[in-house]
Amino acid sequence: MAAARLLRGVAGVAGFLVAGELVIRFGLSEDLVFPAPSAVLREAVWLPSDAVFLRGTAATLTNWALGLLIATAVAVPAGVLLGALPPVERAIRPVLEFMRPIPSVAIIPLAILLIPVDELMKVSVIVYASLWPILINTLYGMHDVDPMAKDTLRAFGFGRSAVLARVSLPSAAPFIATGVRIAAGVALVLAVSAELVAGGTAGIGVYVTTAGSGNRTDLMLAATFWAGVLGVAANLALLAGERRLFHWHRVRTGAAG
Amino acid sequence: MTHRLSRHALVLGLAAALGLTGCGAGGETSSSPAAGGTGLEKTTIRVGALPVPDPVALYIAQAKGFFEEEGLTVEPVTITGGAAALPQIESGALDVSQTNYVSTFLAVSQGKKIKLVADMYQAAPNAFTIMVPKDSPIKTVADLKGRTILVNNLRNIATLAVTSQLKAVGLTENDVKFAEKPFPEMGNAINSGQADAGWFTEPFITANQKTLGFRTVADTMTGPTAELPIAGWMATQEWAQKHPKTLAAFQRAIARAQQLASADRKEIEAALATYTKIDAGTAAAITLGTYPSTLDAARLQKVADLMLEYQYISAPIDVKSVIASAAG
Repeated sequence: MAAARLLRGVAGVAGFLVAGELVIRFGLSEDLVFPAPSAVLREAVWLPSDAVFLRGTAATLTNWALGLLIATAVAVPAGVLLGALPPVERAIRPVLEFMRPIPSVAIIPLAILLIPVDELMKVSVIVYASLWPILINTLYGMHDVDPMAKDTLRAFGFGRSAVLARVSLPSAAPFIATGVRIAAGVALVLAVSAELVAGGTAGIGVYVTTAGSGNRTDLMLAATFWAGVLGVAANLALLAGERRLFHWHRVRTGAAG
Repeated sequence: MTHRLSRHALVLGLAAALGLTGCGAGGETSSSPAAGGTGLEKTTIRVGALPVPDPVALYIAQAKGFFEEEGLTVEPVTITGGAAALPQIESGALDVSQTNYVSTFLAVSQGKKIKLVADMYQAAPNAFTIMVPKDSPIKTVADLKGRTILVNNLRNIATLAVTSQLKAVGLTENDVKFAEKPFPEMGNAINSGQADAGWFTEPFITANQKTLGFRTVADTMTGPTAELPIAGWMATQEWAQKHPKTLAAFQRAIARAQQLASADRKEIEAALATYTKIDAGTAAAITLGTYPSTLDAARLQKVADLMLEYQYISAPIDVKSVIASAAG
């Protein structure tokens, strides 16, 4: 089953690359210059031997991890608190709903203006963007707690905090984990976008800017390819963590396979 | 050179949004107390520069230890454009930054308190050209009438240079259409019919000649724009006043590097390999501008006067007042 699925995935990727290669090599007019997938992949293979690129990747990942960590540390308690106090949630909800759809990339120029330390500026916009998926998922998780289980514990004389710790939090945890996983993708987008807009001493986005200024579209795409690889890797790692920690949740909700 | 690559962002005035993250403006000041011995007000400075040939002196001075000899530690920061760097020197994220003179004077005309602290790059023949595909019917500047010309930034150095060439053949900027496009995308955009011509600088002149067979219609740095000052180093007025010794040390090191760059092209090519992605073959082939080692108000005045003539600014600017005085 799993092998067949993997095979299909590989076939899909290969087919896409071959189609891209053929279109660029034979379909595009000779007057247009665009690096073919084979050329981009060749550069991508060599990129990890480029010290500047490695330093850039380390810088981007550091901002990414720091931003995600802070966002989790802020959004989870906030979500739990709001979820446990419905009147407060109802009061704050309109503000949340207003701020959530603001494209996070749009606040980068404002952040540049307000925050004089480059790394802090980048981490801040990552935190801002990652907050929402975690917060909203935590809220959903808190709403989804089985009322019967809560009532049962209360009937046995457990206090509010005990109900929270023994029922609500474990029940909301899989939702929180999903929120963090979604935020991880958003955070990577912001980490690279902030570098593309603001520049910096190192970063994947800084590398892309530099490659573009040197007319190296192949290098731009190769660096972008690695950003994509990092995003996929982060998603897979978090997904594996979720599967391992919350296998009981999948059984309960009847999620497939 | 304002060299805008990726700016998909708009300013949205939602300061409150940022405040909520708990990461608002940090009150940190990065000024360090006077360092012992050298007497510099600040010994470590962050300097913004584009990954293009213009700011090569920064990297030459760094590699040759010119900053170190002045007791200065310089941290080069890649910027994405002079316009993007302005808020960064204002916020203090950068101490000094590359800027192009048109952007600088536009900002000054809007009341920004910025000072030019050193010269960087000046136009030379064929370093900034209008190019077209090889089979284009456009042969002269006059043929551009009614055509679309790609520039890296609207109402900046590119449009100013092209407009001054149009005037020489009796046309105005209203006789053509300018459209904005990053340099790496111009060649393909012109070939796919989005525009008829483009204003190019290196390494894109060489690249488009080689890979797309583009042909040069005109050098835009002739006549009134001959030897036009292009780019320099800027700081805020406040920074320049607060750090006169640091500034003087920076100026001395940069001037030495500018002299080296002017004297030996090999120094430029060697440095380009360290901070740009221009390969050695291209670096040897590209047409470069010149690297003046003094900031000369009379030369720079030409830029401000051209801007006034073509109404980029509404009131004259006395360039002397924009140059940081030696005494601080």
